[in-house]
Amino acid sequence: MSLFVLLLLPFLGSVVTALLPTRARTALAGCAGLVSTVAAVWLLGLFPQVRDGGVVRASLPWLPSHGLDLVIRIDGLAWMFGVLVTVIGALVALYARYYMSPEDPVGRFFAFFLAFLGAMLGVVLSGNLIQLVVFWELTSLVSFLLIGYWHHRKDAQRGARMSLTVTGAGGLALLAGVIVLGHAAGSYELDAILAAGDRIQASPLYPAALVLIVIGALTKSAQFPFHFWLPRAMAAPTPVSAYLHSATMVKAGVFLLARLWPVLAGTELWFWVVGGAGMSTLLLGAYAAMFQYDLKRVLAYSTVSHLGLITLLFGLNSKLAAVAGVFHIMNHATFKASLFMAVGVVDHETGTRDVRRLSGLLRAMPYTGTLAMVASGAMAGVPLLNGFLSKEMFFAETVFITGNPWVEIGLPVLATLASLFAVVYSLRFGYGIFFGPPSTDLPRQPHEAPRWMRIPIEVLVMSCLVVGIAPSVSVGPSLAAAARPVVGGVLPAYSLAIWHGFNLPLAMSFVAIVGGVFAYRWLCRQQARGRFDDTPLLSRFSGRRLFESGLVLVTRLSRQALTVLSTRRLQMQMFLIVVVALGLALLASRGVPFSWGERARLPASPPFVLLWVIGAVCAVGAAFNAKYHRLIAITLMGGAGLVVCVTFVWFSAPDLALTQIVVEVVTTTLFLLGLRWLPMRREELRERVTLRQRVRRGRDLVLAVAAGSGLAALSYALLTRPAPQSISPFFLDRALPEGGGANVVNVMLVDFRAFDTLGEITVLCAVALTVYALLRRFRPPAEAMDLPEQQRVLPPDVVTDLVKPDTADEVRGYMMVPGVITRLLLPVVVLVAVHFFLRGHNQPGGGFVAGIVVAIGMLMQYIASGTYWVEGRTNIHPVRWMGYGLLAAVATGLGAIAIGYPFLTSHTAHLTLPIVGEVHFPSATFFDLGVFAVVVGAVLLILTALSHQSLRAHHHHPAQTAAGAQKSRRAG
Amino acid sequence: MEEALALVVGVLGGAGVWLVLRPRTFQVIMGLTLLSYAVNLFIFSMGSLLLDSPPIVAEGLPPDLEHYTDPMPQSLVLTAIVIGFATTALFLVVLLASRGLSGTDHVDGREES
Amino acid sequence: MKALLPHLVLAPILLPLVTAAVLLLLGDRRRRIKSLLNLVSTLAGLVVAVAMLLRVDAGGEIGVYLAANWEAPFGIVLVADRLTALLLVLVGVVGLCAALYAEAAWAKVSVFFHPLFQIQLMGLNGAFLTGDLFNLFVFFEVMLAASYGLQLHGTGWPRVRSGLHYIAVNLLASSLFLVGLAVLYGVLGTLNMADVAEKIPLVPERDRGLMHAGAAILSVAFLIKAAIWPLNAWLVPAYRAASAPVAALFALMTKVGFYAVLRLWTLLFSAGAGASAGFGGPVLLWGGLATIAFATVGLTASLRLGRIAGFAILLSSGTLFAALGVGKVEVTSAALYYLLSATMAVSALFLLVELVERIGNKGEELPGVEPLPAEDINLDDEELPLVGRAIPISLAVLGLAYMAAAILVAGLPPLSGFVAKFSILDAVVSSEGQGISSTGWLLLTALLLSGLAATVALAKAGIRHFWASGGRFVPQLKSVEVIAVLTLVFCCIGLTLFAEPVMRYTSAAAQSLYEPRAYIDTVLSMKALPRMEESP
Repeated sequence: MSLFVLLLLPFLGSVVTALLPTRARTALAGCAGLVSTVAAVWLLGLFPQVRDGGVVRASLPWLPSHGLDLVIRIDGLAWMFGVLVTVIGALVALYARYYMSPEDPVGRFFAFFLAFLGAMLGVVLSGNLIQLVVFWELTSLVSFLLIGYWHHRKDAQRGARMSLTVTGAGGLALLAGVIVLGHAAGSYELDAILAAGDRIQASPLYPAALVLIVIGALTKSAQFPFHFWLPRAMAAPTPVSAYLHSATMVKAGVFLLARLWPVLAGTELWFWVVGGAGMSTLLLGAYAAMFQYDLKRVLAYSTVSHLGLITLLFGLNSKLAAVAGVFHIMNHATFKASLFMAVGVVDHETGTRDVRRLSGLLRAMPYTGTLAMVASGAMAGVPLLNGFLSKEMFFAETVFITGNPWVEIGLPVLATLASLFAVVYSLRFGYGIFFGPPSTDLPRQPHEAPRWMRIPIEVLVMSCLVVGIAPSVSVGPSLAAAARPVVGGVLPAYSLAIWHGFNLPLAMSFVAIVGGVFAYRWLCRQQARGRFDDTPLLSRFSGRRLFESGLVLVTRLSRQALTVLSTRRLQMQMFLIVVVALGLALLASRGVPFSWGERARLPASPPFVLLWVIGAVCAVGAAFNAKYHRLIAITLMGGAGLVVCVTFVWFSAPDLALTQIVVEVVTTTLFLLGLRWLPMRREELRERVTLRQRVRRGRDLVLAVAAGSGLAALSYALLTRPAPQSISPFFLDRALPEGGGANVVNVMLVDFRAFDTLGEITVLCAVALTVYALLRRFRPPAEAMDLPEQQRVLPPDVVTDLVKPDTADEVRGYMMVPGVITRLLLPVVVLVAVHFFLRGHNQPGGGFVAGIVVAIGMLMQYIASGTYWVEGRTNIHPVRWMGYGLLAAVATGLGAIAIGYPFLTSHTAHLTLPIVGEVHFPSATFFDLGVFAVVVGAVLLILTALSHQSLRAHHHHPAQTAAGAQKSRRAG
Repeated sequence: MEEALALVVGVLGGAGVWLVLRPRTFQVIMGLTLLSYAVNLFIFSMGSLLLDSPPIVAEGLPPDLEHYTDPMPQSLVLTAIVIGFATTALFLVVLLASRGLSGTDHVDGREES
Repeated sequence: MKALLPHLVLAPILLPLVTAAVLLLLGDRRRRIKSLLNLVSTLAGLVVAVAMLLRVDAGGEIGVYLAANWEAPFGIVLVADRLTALLLVLVGVVGLCAALYAEAAWAKVSVFFHPLFQIQLMGLNGAFLTGDLFNLFVFFEVMLAASYGLQLHGTGWPRVRSGLHYIAVNLLASSLFLVGLAVLYGVLGTLNMADVAEKIPLVPERDRGLMHAGAAILSVAFLIKAAIWPLNAWLVPAYRAASAPVAALFALMTKVGFYAVLRLWTLLFSAGAGASAGFGGPVLLWGGLATIAFATVGLTASLRLGRIAGFAILLSSGTLFAALGVGKVEVTSAALYYLLSATMAVSALFLLVELVERIGNKGEELPGVEPLPAEDINLDDEELPLVGRAIPISLAVLGLAYMAAAILVAGLPPLSGFVAKFSILDAVVSSEGQGISSTGWLLLTALLLSGLAATVALAKAGIRHFWASGGRFVPQLKSVEVIAVLTLVFCCIGLTLFAEPVMRYTSAAAQSLYEPRAYIDTVLSMKALPRMEESP
């Protein structure tokens, strides 16, 4: 359990630093340093438990059902990495304290720094592969933030994005690989997987798992062909480059290779994939490093190449090589981190990192210079330094490898060549900038770095020397502990001596160093003549450019794909919907015997057929007139509606007929009110029909016919089926005794399925509110803003929206008679409504119909007497009607609850009134009352909102001038 | 008779689909109205077609689908009519607003080039 | 209180309805009271939902409510099982955050925001609760009618244009819904879902084709709501145009489509459905995969955050359908967990879009495709001084929230988005024997690639908004807005920490979905109260 505190510590520290004042450099760095030191000491204390292959475990359940638990598992390898991460972390914290500028708000920096520390610890200490992936991606994210620390700089933004894309993609591949591996091994626990090595290699999934996981590792460790992101990541502050991008994070990839070495290694596939990637990276990195000008880039490419070396060592399928790999991980971490810090110092003191401008710095900064030279010696593999030892081991491996002749000859040669390159770029760095004539044109006057800034470098360089001179005493035990789990428990025989006598590896080193020196001299001369300014051969196809242009290309392609796969046109969408519906329906009913039913048909009656000939004509006519003759279309539509209505009557559905007809009236009125705002379209000036339109119309016609016949077929098939075991007889049976009404349909609406009706009136409310809100912001088209001709001849003092009132008194126009009639009709209308409402429960009718009837009555007033007149004399608040209606309906339902019954339960009271006699009074009536109120309110709200639009014309032109009239007359 | 009704549903539906696929907002709303007619008749036709036997309980008639038309589809159609009315009204207003804002009555708010 | 307990199932529908009615009566003035009422009622809804969840989870019994006291299949029943309760809680959380956020500005933009908001909630809750096909249609309409109003809230040309398309598409979908429903009724003679499930095995062979056709037509209506390719072109413009809180609320609506398919498919075509068992499974799987692919393309193509969020919704519903199409209990349970995480994440993203776009660089026109940047040797003396820019606190909070939302949407570790994706994949893989089927590989590739596309797109947008502006512009944030966003983020963090209990719940829910017997029996065996004898 306490181990989780170790894991949690950095994150807590990160939160603390985020809260500390952002310019308190010392406090922040102190916090960071403290955390890493504590962690380091803690880990160092664990050494006795892991030195002889022991494993420290702790686990915490997270998602056991999917085999994802938090497991901390510290063996030698994890321990070594943990120490590396924490110790170098402490040193970098100290270094960063002096590197970051005083006016830099570094709170964020140290917060991310500690977060990274935690994430990295999580990677190396995790005993569950999924957990490892989690922390793996976390390191990618934090590295993204740290590279983008100076976020106002373009290069920082690009570098951050590129590294996130590459490593993030790699992380996803790794996730896939781990899932596959876990499936093959039967668990995500590291212990189980390490135990299941043979089973995994036997499994058919092995190649897939291997390739996916290796992709993850290669991206993280910047291996060819994914190496290009690392040099771009150098936009980060130098402490970050020293820490993440040389010592720790980029090592995560090789760490994974080492971690899974016992499980995955030992096959041809492994050798070619891992070894191949490692070899090519080793060469390419070293080669490119020789031609860089930016010191950080030199180091970046050399890091790439050294990681390649490590990868290659793991790829060689030999235990000794694996040990060498582990050893080189440690060595590289020490000397590369110190080199980066040295570059930081140079950059910090001189203000530039350009090799061409820097030279003879030794005089100005002897101390840093010496340290840097020693470190680069280690990088070049000079004897008595740690780099030499691991390089010797590597050479020995390449020599003793057995395989096909190409490998046996090629490997040593290439290894020597790569090492020669290493010597060259090491010289460029360690020799080129410190010797020679002191450079003059530097941005700042160079001098020695502050004392404490050098300490970390000194510590690291010291360790290079110590390890290089007395390897077995200094690093021997920890190396053994770290390498043991990698090679699967049993260490091969190896000696960490400096001197193995004259042998081939020594000769190779000699060739590399001497050749390197000469190559360096030659290169200097060439560059003095201005050649090789850019990496020869490789400059043409840089991975970065490929990547960037690849991204651009992908974006372009996806845009084009989007235009094909999606559409902004409504017609296309509707077309697709109908097609899909039709297609799926056919697909679903395919292969199943399909036949018309044999229920006894009703005899066809000529009048009905005739009726429907008319109906069909109306429908089709409406369809073909809707574009140019809207009025005709509306009329025909009404015709069709009427025929539908008659059909309902015909087949004994009086309620439907009633509702249909009243709704018909209102809908038609709405359309008529709307017509005014639509653009005038004349058939004679119709634009020519292009071929494309013709084709489209043909296509639509075919689809329409298909859909229509499909619908007809369905309905015919169902009409001719014998009635299924329907639930309806129940309603017929219970309507009167328990529903308290003879009209079953109405009883269903207010009782059996009252819940539907409740939703239905809610829909009405929502729509009415929407319409109102929308029309408040309505902006009529300009040409529709002109008053109708008749109103332009009014004297300016007359305000009305009536068409053609002759004189000042607006109702004394030719609308007078209808106006009077409608006013007289109003009480009658109300009476009719009341009648419908009251009889609704037993005869056709009900609250809805009554409501619409009343609404129509009011509507007639608006039409005949004009908006001003009506609203001057009435005081209707449709919204309140709706509100009260809803409440009434709900209250009825709640009444049932009050007496212990479910919501909306109806209860019929049978009263005997003095005159009327016996009366059945179902509580559903109140519910129906609510429906009535809502309908009145909603319909009125919609209609008045629409009719008010015609008033806008008046607000728009208070009084229209003859000129305006003529203008608009011409426009009309 | 069934043939006639089925045909009617087909014709209404076909005309509706045709209109719904047209480029003018007014055509689309007409189409939706026609479609709702078709759909209502379709739902209605799920019940048994009976002449003059409305689902209004009368004395002495056994409560079964031989003597009454199926009340269930009727109540469904009733609700469907109301909801259809509401949505049609809404669509009408929206198309007016669109017309007002864009100056055209094309469903995409701009004439196709 | 005890007496009202049986009516708990009803509350999620009634509460918003009553609130809406009262809000209507409050009239135009009294802004404060209305806002308060809106918030309180939404909060109460959440509380009720949580209570219901605890109740359902405790005994595992299914709550059935006979509206109007008519027993199934004759009356309308409301059914609250684990799945429903879970979704109600989700509605509560997202609704509350949207309502909070709206109080900052949007609620005042135009009239009737609050009642429409409540009606929308009522529609959502009703759709999740009802056990009757036609009633489902009604609640869909309630939900949609309100959503039309909310989508157009504030009008303006982009809203009206996309709203016109949105409404037209949904009206067509509604008529399909009715047709499919009618066919099912015509063949089976019933509308109660449980009863339908009961009768499907008994359908005579000659009617099965009809029944399947009806189910297919019905499913198209749901697929449109769930925005499955190729029926989803309407979604991105409509959601991008809608105001932030509304878009956040709309993230739920695609889930209603998914819910309907999930419920009906598992109920009607379960293993016990005789010849119809598993009908339509492949369509769901391939539709889902196609949608994922489409969303991936869309994410890669988009620069604007609003569009990215829109495609993120498509991605989530594609993932859900693909997972459902696999047709395995474990996968479905993981998918349910994913549903929670994805919905809250996308809602948070939609809320963030507006806030983030307040950060500076307005009006800056985006290039069609980002140009290929030139090779840069960053020698620092040629660059701006190596001094970081302090980030103001509001920007920092915004940035963290954005990062969290991005990580969630892209399914990156360590948040619940990753947990969800991983558990789906793990379930898919481990439900197969030795080796991995082609379906497994397809899902694996689809999920991971889409995640990568989301990562890249969101990183691009984030860099442009947060870094390119260099933190020079400080966005003006209202506290309610920040609270709303952070609430959603913290809920997702909670999901991450308590992944195991949540997953246990979802797997129980999935279990009962795939063995619908209990559901059917509970619904059909629920007895109505004896009617009281008529008063003289």
